[in-house]
Amino acid sequence: MRNTFANYLIEAARLDEKVVLLTGDHGYALFDEFRKLCPNQYFNAGIAEQNMIGVSAGLAKTGFKPIVYGLSAFIPIRVLEQIKIDLCYENLPVILIGDGAGIVYSALGTSHQSTEDIAALRGIPNIIILSPADASEMRACFKLAQESEQTVYIRVGKADLGSVHDMPVDLKMGQIIPVKKEAKTDIVFIGTGSIVVSALEIASKYSNSSVWSVPCLKPIDKKQIVEVILNSKVIVTLEEHSIYGGLGSIISEIASEFNVKLPICTIGINDKFSTYCGNYKYLLEEHELDILSIEKKINDFFLLHNLVISFVSQ
Amino acid sequence: MNFNVINLRKTVLKMAFAGSTVHIACAFSLIEIMAVLYRNHLHFPEGRFDDPNRDYLILSKGHGVMAQYACFRELNWIDENAIENYFSNGSKLKGLSDAHISGIEVTSGSLGHGLSVGVGMALGAKLKGSKQRVFAIIGDGEMNEGSIWEALLFAAHFELSNLLVIVDKNNFQAMGTTDEVLKLGNLKKKLEAFDFETREIDGHDEAIIDKTILELLNSNTKKPKAIVAHTIKGKGISFMENNNCWHYTRLTSETYKQALKELDIKN
Repeated sequence: MRNTFANYLIEAARLDEKVVLLTGDHGYALFDEFRKLCPNQYFNAGIAEQNMIGVSAGLAKTGFKPIVYGLSAFIPIRVLEQIKIDLCYENLPVILIGDGAGIVYSALGTSHQSTEDIAALRGIPNIIILSPADASEMRACFKLAQESEQTVYIRVGKADLGSVHDMPVDLKMGQIIPVKKEAKTDIVFIGTGSIVVSALEIASKYSNSSVWSVPCLKPIDKKQIVEVILNSKVIVTLEEHSIYGGLGSIISEIASEFNVKLPICTIGINDKFSTYCGNYKYLLEEHELDILSIEKKINDFFLLHNLVISFVSQ
Repeated sequence: MNFNVINLRKTVLKMAFAGSTVHIACAFSLIEIMAVLYRNHLHFPEGRFDDPNRDYLILSKGHGVMAQYACFRELNWIDENAIENYFSNGSKLKGLSDAHISGIEVTSGSLGHGLSVGVGMALGAKLKGSKQRVFAIIGDGEMNEGSIWEALLFAAHFELSNLLVIVDKNNFQAMGTTDEVLKLGNLKKKLEAFDFETREIDGHDEAIIDKTILELLNSNTKKPKAIVAHTIKGKGISFMENNNCWHYTRLTSETYKQALKELDIKN
């Protein structure tokens, strides 16, 4: 997924000399090819993210199309005010890439983990928030971002977990995408980002379940969400982000707004920082976001709500 | 349209009284700088504030925005109504600079933002091969913000010789003198150490301001430029000068009349 992004970046920059890449001294090796092919469109702004966002605003104001790359722990979190005032208030066409979202930097600890970025950005007017689940969605998201002419944040999580789509995705702004559909749906799994891969695996164990991926967190097609959840018994939302202010909250808000009465099980980071160090898989377990922990949570939730759900016979 | 500094100060007073607003002293320290820039240096093709080839004036120190509004009035970019109804419900001109207002390039007031945006514009102009210049007025208090120093580093590194930073050094910030709050030390030396071609001048002497700007604009170095302009907060009105209360104090009928009278005597 990261290579897809790097390749698209080169393609975009070679097609349009107004496309410029700014990085806050991150992306070692990722941009080697870009630097080679488009050296005049590459700017390492140094470890100075606040200034980098302001500079991107100035470049956008003078007709350029900046793409700003950073780790999502810094872009957007460290520069939230610059995003609000310098970019979004003026609706400037700047694409922000937040890499390593969630707990990807499992061994580096809290400073490099990012599980509140969606929540922090959602309240800012004019921002578009995209969160691709795989390379196909990344491609579609990047295209949407380029066409949008406003400030876009692309959240890039764990990038090497495999694909959820076996074909290129045709994405319209706000749309959610079916990944697994059944004629009758009791459980709707709605996920965003890399965790959609886990959602698919979990869903395969439940009969009458469907899985939807949400690459557009803002804006989001509320009517489509309502159609998807309307005749089901329960929703499970999944995200590698806090259970507060992210996808779980978005779906709950929509269900509430349209008076769709059904239980919503929100799977995500349960309002805690990481305590331990370890590999990605280990950190997922710590946050109970590994397959087994998620399944346990879901089944406990079903029990709590007296939901009778049938499993696929093994 | 001669940007007479007495008239500009009168416009500021009129606005501030009409809107019962604060930040009068913040505007008064940069009146001469604004006047010289608009009168002699800022290039607006056909007088248009939205011409893509204009020079950019960044008021990073957004608290001084009334000085800029006063210049807009001279340019007829805003009408008398906007002055008389400053801060009235539904009016557009805000208490800090706001890029939604025609003629204002950046939204500031949250300090330490404008300079970075200006640096980006200077980079953009340079990449386009355009002759546009960026003039950025920052406050000395504003230089507490770390992002200012990030922007200075960036400007020097990318050799943005089309950028002129003017520090409105009035030695005060909201809660006291800059020395009391967070010492800045020798600003000229600091800016020189950041690889800016730097001059230190009296920020109320229009002839000197003009001459220094010209000299820096004509310099052939690749360095970005800076002027440390020594100014007086509240300049022009005896009871406001170096009296930091006028960061926050609102005019009464009496102080308004008294201030106008002082300006008339100077005229």
